[in-house]
Amino acid sequence: MHSFFSTYGSMLLAGIGETLYMTLISALLAYLIGLPLGVLLVVTAPEGIRPLRSFNSVLGFIVNVLRSVPFLILLILVIPLTRLIVGTSLGPSAAIVPLTIAAAPFVARLVEASLAEVDSGVVEAAWSMGASPFKIIMKVLLPEARSALLLGATIAAITILGYSAMAGIVGGGGLGDIAIRYGYYRYETNVMVVSVVLLVVIVMVLQALGNRWARLIDKKASAPAGMAFGLFGSGLPLRSKHSEETNKGDEHNENDTDD
Amino acid sequence: MAPILRTEKLSKSFPTPRRGEDVRALCDIDLDIEEGEIFGVIGKSGAGKSTLVRCINFLERPTTGEVIFDGVRLSSLSKKELYHTRQSIGMIFQQFNLLAQRSALRNICFPLEIAGADGHKTRERAQELLELVGMGDKATSYPTQLSGGQRQRVAIARAIAANPRILLCDEATSALDPETTRGVLALLKDINARYGITIIVITHEMPVIEQIATRLAVLDEGRIVETGRTSEVFAAPKSEAARRLLIHPEDGLIAAAARHYFEDKGVALEEVIRDYA
Ligand SMILES: Nc1ncnc2c1ncn2[C@@H]1O[C@H](COP(=O)(O)OP(=O)(O)O)[C@@H](O)[C@H]1O
Ligand SMILES: [Mg+2]
Repeated sequence: MHSFFSTYGSMLLAGIGETLYMTLISALLAYLIGLPLGVLLVVTAPEGIRPLRSFNSVLGFIVNVLRSVPFLILLILVIPLTRLIVGTSLGPSAAIVPLTIAAAPFVARLVEASLAEVDSGVVEAAWSMGASPFKIIMKVLLPEARSALLLGATIAAITILGYSAMAGIVGGGGLGDIAIRYGYYRYETNVMVVSVVLLVVIVMVLQALGNRWARLIDKKASAPAGMAFGLFGSGLPLRSKHSEETNKGDEHNENDTDD
Repeated sequence: MAPILRTEKLSKSFPTPRRGEDVRALCDIDLDIEEGEIFGVIGKSGAGKSTLVRCINFLERPTTGEVIFDGVRLSSLSKKELYHTRQSIGMIFQQFNLLAQRSALRNICFPLEIAGADGHKTRERAQELLELVGMGDKATSYPTQLSGGQRQRVAIARAIAANPRILLCDEATSALDPETTRGVLALLKDINARYGITIIVITHEMPVIEQIATRLAVLDEGRIVETGRTSEVFAAPKSEAARRLLIHPEDGLIAAAARHYFEDKGVALEEVIRDYA
């Protein structure tokens, strides 16, 4: 046991660092692209605050196409682009390019779903007060959806983490790379198992942090924002819509919200 | 004196999802609302009341006809001018529509922020308004921590924060119990008396009109079928729609005028109530 960690410890530590680096930088860049796209998808939808029919369908189509390209194929397809931007197609920095491209449209959909949850009555109230579409986006849609957006960001980060492990196949670095090199090519199963366990731990920590933070900033949910501990969260934090809506004659409900 | 708000032959049709006849939600609405009055619009569900308020501040563009606010035709305004004009037309809703992620105080700051104000002056004004609506101690509460009546009070404070000339109320008390309703209506009356804000109250409940409105219009299937002073309409309703609305299906209360009308016709009251409910 002692010798295992003295042999592989520093490599695994570096792997953790690389994985976090790839995941977080890619998530950041994916949000830089995906957040505005998600906002555009919601705003230009037929029921949105600035409906633009054909623009919305074209954007939705592009997002769908990008989302349906399998990551492994994307990984290989973008190698020339990666070389152009990073100078190499190997290592964690190089992996950021395909990870960002794969995650951005996913993020756009997550953001879209979060913003679509915002109560249309509140948007209507903002219109009635003379808000412009831009003000509605900045002061209503994004702030009102902040908790859902944060849960979405957690899902995005975890999904990117999963993809980053796949990037190991083309020498992307990180824990996934280690697991593949040692477990698959060199049959050193224990190294692979430890790498995978570390990945699982990172996922669980990310998810727990995301859940807790989202709950902390949510002034709407009186109960904890319910979301399963899904690994590669395919779903969304579907909140029970208007769960605490108007109760007739309720001068007496002093909800004890946790803040 | 010119009316603060006037609608001229205001009509609104909605296209049906499948092609066919459009839904005519409003038809040739002519209204004159005087500055400082409390005007009621009553009609049963689906009569077109919400469509009418939404046309008044152009949340919905009328299909034909005009809305003239303070001498200005809303249809002649650019988008920017319209946004600016809406700051002078407050609105409250049945579902309150408060920002769930903002405290009561910051909800009231919201229209001021939209109007371009910010900083602690805004917060001072918001606190004053909270006190005005009897919620001075709830500044840091979030909407989910408030009861329905309290939420509507915050919504009222928010709606008048930017000093509007008119306040539109779309079924503002329909989600509240009778006692809370009386409190909210008293508050609206107080605000009307204090600041001279014109109030348009839209409801399907006659008691609400009775308590607050000096004049009213009866809306039925998108048309105004009767207008008049509240006391007059209650004493002698001319339209079938008004008579029916005077019957309160929940407790079977019937205004005297409606009772006479149906008795003259030789119709059993129980039958009418059953029909209505
Ligand atoms: N956005 C819309 N699209 C289609 N039909 C609508 C729309 N809004 C209202 N209507 C129709 O217009 C009529 C009046 O509705 P509304 O103004 O909501 O009535 P009320 O508020 O008096 O209950 C109804 O028949 C309703 O179905
Ligand atoms: Mg309505």
